[in-house]
Amino acid sequence: MPLLSVRNLTHTYPNGFQALKGISFDVEAGEFLVVIGLSGSGKSTLLRCLNRLIEPTGGTITFDGKDVTHIANDPLRKHRGQIGMIFQHFNLIPRHSVLNNVLYGALGSTGTLTAMLGRFSEELRTRALEALRVVGIAEKSGVRADALSGGQQQRVAIARALMQQPRMLLADEPVASLDPSTSHSVMTYLERINKDMGTTVICNLHFLSLVRQYATRVIALKDGQLVFNGSPHDITEEWFTTIYGEDAVEVEIR
Amino acid sequence: MVKMRWKWRFVNVLMKRMMSIVIDLLLGATVVALIERVIVPSLMDVKPWAFGPMSIGIIISGAILWALIGVLRGASLGRLYTGLDVPEGQARTIVTHLGWIALTACIIGGWIITDISPIEFLSGEGLQGAGRIFGALLTPEFDVIGEALAAMVVTIFTAFMATVVAVPLSFLLSFPAARNVMATSPLGKTIYMGLRIILNIMRSMEPIIWAIIFSVWVGIGPFAGMLALVIHTVASLTKQYSEQIEDVNAGPIEAISATGANRIQVLWFAIVPQCVIPFLSFTIYRWDINVRMATIIGFVGGGGIGTLLTQYQGLARYHEVGTLVILITAVVWILDVVSARVREALR
Ligand SMILES: Nc1ncnc2c1ncn2[C@@H]1O[C@H](COP(=O)(O)OP(=O)(O)O)[C@@H](O)[C@H]1O
Ligand SMILES: [Mg+2]
Repeated sequence: MPLLSVRNLTHTYPNGFQALKGISFDVEAGEFLVVIGLSGSGKSTLLRCLNRLIEPTGGTITFDGKDVTHIANDPLRKHRGQIGMIFQHFNLIPRHSVLNNVLYGALGSTGTLTAMLGRFSEELRTRALEALRVVGIAEKSGVRADALSGGQQQRVAIARALMQQPRMLLADEPVASLDPSTSHSVMTYLERINKDMGTTVICNLHFLSLVRQYATRVIALKDGQLVFNGSPHDITEEWFTTIYGEDAVEVEIR
Repeated sequence: MVKMRWKWRFVNVLMKRMMSIVIDLLLGATVVALIERVIVPSLMDVKPWAFGPMSIGIIISGAILWALIGVLRGASLGRLYTGLDVPEGQARTIVTHLGWIALTACIIGGWIITDISPIEFLSGEGLQGAGRIFGALLTPEFDVIGEALAAMVVTIFTAFMATVVAVPLSFLLSFPAARNVMATSPLGKTIYMGLRIILNIMRSMEPIIWAIIFSVWVGIGPFAGMLALVIHTVASLTKQYSEQIEDVNAGPIEAISATGANRIQVLWFAIVPQCVIPFLSFTIYRWDINVRMATIIGFVGGGGIGTLLTQYQGLARYHEVGTLVILITAVVWILDVVSARVREALR
């Protein structure tokens, strides 16, 4: 049984725009699935449906054998808690310390008042430091999150996601605001988490060079529809033009 | 879907049309009334004639004529205000003319209504009076300084306590008053709208009116002043706080939600950290404003320096009034500088 199963998924925003037009695919546990597609093709919308930051308007999403398409409240929070997410703009809490930012990854499993008073248990603190060590940034634990460089902030965001001990990790263009060498460092951490911890990764990416290097499988979206599902090595020139249109060559050069 | 949106747009335009006609009717009535009741009698140097059916007829027909231009030619200030299309060319010229007519009528009418009189302002007798009061104010009687300082302390702390009491209330209210927090459900939207309306009404009632109410309720004194300020401060701070909340970066909200956090945790860990500094800044500024307002409120029974000032003014003891004026000016000025400095440092 696949870890994640998506069937005929549609999403229409309140303004009437249909961003996803019936998408179906499966993800096996342990895969590193990369989602590609032009800007506006629906990649972010898809990811946000998977951890139910938004509610799909049609189709079904099954995660770990459970239908999560329309869950709410406690089951929804539990579902989100099992899935870590990192973002293009890191989305750390500015002014708060790196360690606290990582601890916030455990909010799904701590008492509301305990957390608000900052009373995180010793065990959680140890785990947070451990997560920071995984991304090689433990020495910054006391620093304000907004004082770090972009690459460092993204590593803290990964540590925050690890704090959830997630079954699956979603990454929405995690390297789009980073320079090439930092990009590789961040992607390497994601790869390590995938390989060493066996965490399933679904990652939106823009650049094909990165896709070939890190993906075990690729799906491609175009105008809210799935137009490719296969191995990264099967993306031929022809596919490439279908997905990216006439600008294909430019995209590859980068 | 498409049909619904078309319908909505239609309703929207219809509402704007109606609003623009109402505006034009009111504007036309104002202009004609100013001319008929104020400007013409003044030019003829007679008292305005009795307000009767004749005047009503003139004003109503003027208003209708004014609005009719808008309906027939598409040329009206109401259409301009509501964002409706005003055709290029002649219609634009007509709108410009209408605008100038309205402005001119308001300035001339206003001049007459407010009794503006350069003659009184500059007459010998008038200047003598001015000399007397300025003389008294500039030779303050410092015997009252002890009493004045004590009253000033009362005013400052009235403002301070009003701020202290209002801050937690405003903080709690600011979340349900923020669109981005409440827009997630129809119930939320209803609460948001209701709260906004109540707060707007609360803010529209000047603190001085609240002070009059509370001076009857709890008796004249600083407590009445404080209560009046609390109401106004809650209304103002909640608005400022909630606008700040509406302005926060959505990224951290998504990130914290994605960890499985509940709504309260999202508020506390994603929204509040982005708001603390601006909230502090608004609060300090509000205290500064409250000290000024507490002074004014004192005039109608809110205690402190304002009450003392009205007492001496009532006794026509202008030397003492002079001392109080100097003290008020100094305190307001110092607070202004200090609060600006603190707010600057907070950025
Ligand atoms: N909140 C929203 N309301 C309306 N339309 C949206 C919203 N968010 C995204 N869209 C639209 O949905 C489409 C897909 O967006 P997105 O999923 O962000 O694409 P991608 O991540 O591939 O760039 C775009 O055309 C975008 O304009
Ligand atoms: Mg996107």
